[in-house]
Amino acid sequence: METICRINLHFLLNCPKLAIFPGMIVFNLSELLRLMRGVQTELETGKMKILAVDDDPIIVELLTQFVGAIGDHELCTAYSGQDALRVLEENGADTFDCFMLDIQMPGMDGIELTRKIRSMSRYLDTPVLMLTAMSEKRYIDAAFSAGATDYVTKPFEVSELKARIGLVEGLVKARQTRTKKIFAAKALGEIPASPNTAIELHAPLSIYDVDHVIDYLAMENYVAQLSRNALFGSSTFAFTVRQIEDLHESTSPFEFYSMISDVAEIISDTLAGKQFLMSYAGSGTFVCVTESGWRPDPVQLMDSVNLSLAQTELYDNQGRRLQPRVSTGDVIRMIWKTGNSVMEALASAHASAEQASHHFEKSQNDFWYMGQTA
Amino acid sequence: MMHVRQELPGLDRIRDRFIEMLADRQTMIAHHALLAWEGETVEAVNENLYAAQCVLHQIGGTAGSLGFDVLGKDARTCEMEIIAHLEGPDADLAICPGDLIYHVDNFVGSCRALLDLKG
Repeated sequence: METICRINLHFLLNCPKLAIFPGMIVFNLSELLRLMRGVQTELETGKMKILAVDDDPIIVELLTQFVGAIGDHELCTAYSGQDALRVLEENGADTFDCFMLDIQMPGMDGIELTRKIRSMSRYLDTPVLMLTAMSEKRYIDAAFSAGATDYVTKPFEVSELKARIGLVEGLVKARQTRTKKIFAAKALGEIPASPNTAIELHAPLSIYDVDHVIDYLAMENYVAQLSRNALFGSSTFAFTVRQIEDLHESTSPFEFYSMISDVAEIISDTLAGKQFLMSYAGSGTFVCVTESGWRPDPVQLMDSVNLSLAQTELYDNQGRRLQPRVSTGDVIRMIWKTGNSVMEALASAHASAEQASHHFEKSQNDFWYMGQTA
Repeated sequence: MMHVRQELPGLDRIRDRFIEMLADRQTMIAHHALLAWEGETVEAVNENLYAAQCVLHQIGGTAGSLGFDVLGKDARTCEMEIIAHLEGPDADLAICPGDLIYHVDNFVGSCRALLDLKG
């Protein structure tokens, strides 16, 4: 039931018809299930081209039967990482919509294969499901860090896999929206000037080529996977870019995306040497999940990031200097949390950093107000 | 695992294939475990244990989905035991723990019992 509830939230968050944002908690499970079935039905009409890679012929046969049973999808199979790369090359422009990869394979393992797939511009944000018997945290960390979208442990249940594939279908549809245009232009080195590629302030963004930065959906799947395997002892905290509304308003979508990417890179560099994963959750907020054993000092981190930001010259297309600065919120221990309370911890970290940002802005205003009345 | 049995068509055929492959796989596990037990160098011990682990990994990944839950869990337990040895303090010694071989032997016995039942 725990899994179903989490997946429902993903469906809802990815469904453009429903205005539900990260951090919002839905308590009515039966209503949630009803909504999910509706969304799934809508998504089930789509056809995906899937590449499954596993060295075990039994798994390949199971997946073939499974994919045939859940819809009108096209499944290609490969028995090794090298075999998969050959299939990708042969298919050329006829791209895949989804990958299902085993981790432990002779030669190139699934994590290395994920990295290679992600290095191809056409597969920057294609959903990658890891189907693996490896449930240890180091494999989970490595898989998500390499670019995995979700993680299903073998032996899998059809109902669970079906739900995950349903989620992937939603992602495939979402890829056809505005953000894809921006990323495609970015990959080509072009600057999209069209206002049609608008980025919503509250929407999570996928950021590429920055170490330890993963998609927000992948982040949710990552923490859910950790809690599911009772391997939890990590902390979460967040950075929020101050005055993000103004920055969003005054920049083009590409400039905004570039600025967010630059801030992500600076945060990632600041946290270098620590074991962590982070994600842009929207509204100028980056949520980080750190390895157990490291208790971050948020104020010190905020100062370090802001110092790096001050030393980095960021400009918009008109040559105006952008000077983003961040605030950090509370560090929330995730130990002993399970299911929805894990997601709540992420949401609390997010909210705490946003609150810290608002307090900072308010204190700036109060400073001038106090000056006038003194 | 009931979901798999109820929902997936063609599962009987896959289960038959699994049993067919299990005959070869249990022989491979026994073969590598024996070579590891008799190995006189670190490489001989560790390489054979790793080879046995890979086969156990494959059994552990599919047995549960096909209704052989106990066999799958046993395979996973043996696999974890080998991983713990290969990453443990004795990994650089030409030692193959007796307990580990005992458990692998039990697992091979379980495979044979299942094969006899299905054969």
